[in-house]
Amino acid sequence: MDRPLSHSSFLPPLFSSAPHPLSPPHSVPHPSAAPSVNAAERPARWSPYQDNGGTVVALAGRDYAIVAADTRFSVSFSIPTREFTKITQLTDRVVLASAGMGADRQYLHKMLHTRLAMYRHQHQRDMSLPAAAQMLSNTLYSRRFFPIYAFNVLGGIDSATGEGFVYGYDAIGSHEQLKVVCSGSGQAIVQPVLDQQFSGRQRYSVPDAERAPSLTLEQATALVRDAFASATERDIHTGDALEMWQITAAGVRQTRYELRKD
Amino acid sequence: MFQSRSEYDRGVNTFSPEGRLFQVEYALEAIKLGSTAVGVQTAEGVVIAVEKRIPSPLVEPRSIEKIVEVDVHAGAALSGLTADARTLIEHARREAQNHRFHYDEPMPVESIARAVCDLALRFGESGEGGDDDDGDDNDKNEGDGEDDERSGPRLSRPFGVALLIAGWDENGPALYTTDPSGTCIHWGAKAIGAGSEAAQNALQEQYRRDMRLAEAEVLALRVLRQVMEEKLNAHNVEVAAVTRTVDHARVGQFQLYSTERVKACVARLPETETATS
Repeated sequence: MDRPLSHSSFLPPLFSSAPHPLSPPHSVPHPSAAPSVNAAERPARWSPYQDNGGTVVALAGRDYAIVAADTRFSVSFSIPTREFTKITQLTDRVVLASAGMGADRQYLHKMLHTRLAMYRHQHQRDMSLPAAAQMLSNTLYSRRFFPIYAFNVLGGIDSATGEGFVYGYDAIGSHEQLKVVCSGSGQAIVQPVLDQQFSGRQRYSVPDAERAPSLTLEQATALVRDAFASATERDIHTGDALEMWQITAAGVRQTRYELRKD
Repeated sequence: MFQSRSEYDRGVNTFSPEGRLFQVEYALEAIKLGSTAVGVQTAEGVVIAVEKRIPSPLVEPRSIEKIVEVDVHAGAALSGLTADARTLIEHARREAQNHRFHYDEPMPVESIARAVCDLALRFGESGEGGDDDDGDDNDKNEGDGEDDERSGPRLSRPFGVALLIAGWDENGPALYTTDPSGTCIHWGAKAIGAGSEAAQNALQEQYRRDMRLAEAEVLALRVLRQVMEEKLNAHNVEVAAVTRTVDHARVGQFQLYSTERVKACVARLPETETATS
């Protein structure tokens, strides 16, 4: 924070321009964020965080939701494995995908599953989509000052109406209910395409009435496949295979499509 | 008989050779000294009604509180030691708010009742409490920054109070009871307190599952009238109901009746008990 604050002397060191002795060696993480200025000035030091790349997408229609992710696991320019799933099924109606760091993702998914099980035991029912969304947010916020390096998209259908909804998150639990969201290394490539094709934003070539198309599950599936194929072309951290989970009232169906492996 | 008992009813957590916990049984007896409370569950909602014993004409009737709100969609009627009830109700309220905080949804009524029962047997001399004393049986709350500290030391004896918990969650209307032994049961219609035996018999004869809410109001008050010593009027009973909200949300709405509304209910009662519906 370069802008001088008139009351800066009253603020704790965390908010002043001087580095706080306890602050993590980076700003609040974001996979697409440029390395912080401080990193260039200071000698390189160990970081508890690593970005293992990958792109995750969730989108929802009137009676379905799709949660999709590629399976590449990368560390800088190498690919330790091409088969690393980023998706976990939380309930019959709720599926979560997380980009970011592999270890943090595994830990987060494991923790969520225990909480879901405890909820099931206590209340004799599965967590609803909004309940799971809130619970995930609180879980992330509980680590406000040493965040879990995972960028989540949550998708599912409402247990009463069957309507699809998705939720987008930042690393510390800020979340929003949406109809389409993308996160991870391919976010900048995929999100604008989905905004245009799925939400109908900036579709100046078509009449107003047709700008917000309601895609069928099949159309949306094809759109997600194309979006991932495109992201794979340009983003080196995305590729290998696409895992797609379709959530409808009939249940959850998992499909896999191959992507470029170069 | 009393002599053999006295050996085993000193320690609150000591079983007798016959396998009984006398202090808990005595606490159950304490409920039978409390004012009568009646609950009736229908498809349109749950009605709870309590007798208010007004010891003197100088007492302001409104200061005797026998029905309390637990959350927007649930309330409770109490019978027994009112002071003990405050601890249980506070626990239930906190758990209900905790649930909203964590899951952004109203707490199921059964879970509220169970949360109360979890506390029911947490008493005893060993106040230091090796188990988690945060009043929550799982660690999901860790680090949410607003952990609930239990106020004060643990109670050294069982809670001498029974609750009738009425609510409406996603499964519809529900009526639960909790008692000092930690038993938690879902009822169609239930009476607790001093007149509970006679009242429960009356309910058994007259309760139907297809009752309208207005009929349930009348039934609850008629049953109370039968077991009350004083003549029932709008000031010596308290009535509340959990009903469907106007916007037909998935959960119901708890509402304590105003004196005028109780008056209107009392006016609908038949003159004598001979006229059975």
